[in-house]
Amino acid sequence: MEQFIISPSSGIPIYKQLYSQIERMILNGYFSVDQRLPSVRQVASDLDVNPMTVSKAYGLLEERGYLTRLRGKGMVVTARDEEVLKQEKLTMLDEMIKELLAQAKHMGISGDKVAKMIKQNIANGQDETVGKE
Amino acid sequence: MTCIVNVKGLTKSYKNQSVLKELSLDVEQGDVVGLLGKNGAGKSTLLKSLLNISDIDSGEISIFGEQYNQLSSKNKARIGYVPQENDEISWLSVKDLINFRKQFYAAWSDEKVTELLSRWEIDLTKKISELSPGQVQRVLIILALAPRPELLIFDEPAASLDPAGRRDFLKEILSLVSDENITVIFSTHITSDLERIANKVAILDKGQIRYFNDLDTTKENVVQLTLHWQADKNITVPYLLRGKQFLQGQHAIVSQLDQAWLEEMKEQAVEVTINPMGLEDIFLELTA
Repeated sequence: MEQFIISPSSGIPIYKQLYSQIERMILNGYFSVDQRLPSVRQVASDLDVNPMTVSKAYGLLEERGYLTRLRGKGMVVTARDEEVLKQEKLTMLDEMIKELLAQAKHMGISGDKVAKMIKQNIANGQDETVGKE
Repeated sequence: MTCIVNVKGLTKSYKNQSVLKELSLDVEQGDVVGLLGKNGAGKSTLLKSLLNISDIDSGEISIFGEQYNQLSSKNKARIGYVPQENDEISWLSVKDLINFRKQFYAAWSDEKVTELLSRWEIDLTKKISELSPGQVQRVLIILALAPRPELLIFDEPAASLDPAGRRDFLKEILSLVSDENITVIFSTHITSDLERIANKVAILDKGQIRYFNDLDTTKENVVQLTLHWQADKNITVPYLLRGKQFLQGQHAIVSQLDQAWLEEMKEQAVEVTINPMGLEDIFLELTA
């Protein structure tokens, strides 16, 4: 089964695309603690990419503490301290917010306005009427 | 790392036209090198020179640590080559051609031949001249893979294959790369194939390897920048390949991202947006 989606011709290196996808899948619980990830070989063959690319993504996830290499079992999701996990989720959201604010700035929309829009979204329970003011 | 192919100062001209000028290239074991270059850049000449099919004017080439024109037969058998044009005897049937070529190799895999012939639906009884260009290319690939080579040299191997055929060919190469740690050098115009299977990219331009680097590093380094600033400023972008100024801003394509410069821009309140580029665009910029 092809769990991951990559776009080889994108300017973002394939290992980075894989890294961020798996990071997200771990943080949002798609991969649970101790769950085994498909082997490097499997992923490389599913996606038709060089196995070195997959190794690189897995290696980076291991280095950053998301995965643990188990002898004869491959890569499994590392058990993490609740507090650390929460911090990582917040960091990820923070990056998304920074990106959002940068985009808004390009469009000439102030941070205050974006904050208002977010609050309104919350108040509306995120339904379709958002943004009409 | 073991160096499999080492080229130093390779120079070659046809009649009075210079093709390769003092070209150097090192390929290490396990590397999958994608060779890009415009038409007539000399890709085929370079690959043929490595194999001593084409004479060179000067320079040194070593393969598996031996001088290229004095390779032992053992080392010759470790190389698989797929030429751009069919140079096999075309009046032979596929079966006879395979049996003919088999005699020259000690480590010929009948199993691999049978598997690929049936997977690629090639009729053994047909003459080479009766096959479609795509089928001929497949036969050439089978002939190159059958002796279980450790170094594969492909000259536009996928040029006459349709998308499904190309993908299947890539799969075969990838499985060889992951199982046997073989080294691959292939020239291509199809950058998306290169992006899937290569770990390194080499750009041949004006007779030299203009650029040789990790594919990932290349994508991280060669990027398009958009700069925005408020007050009057005169910004110099380091490693600039091409740029275009506009009012209070600049578009720029750089060959390398200078982190110290990025910090400086932040301090000067210059907004820098980094846009990654695909390999095709990178290639066009680097050879412009």
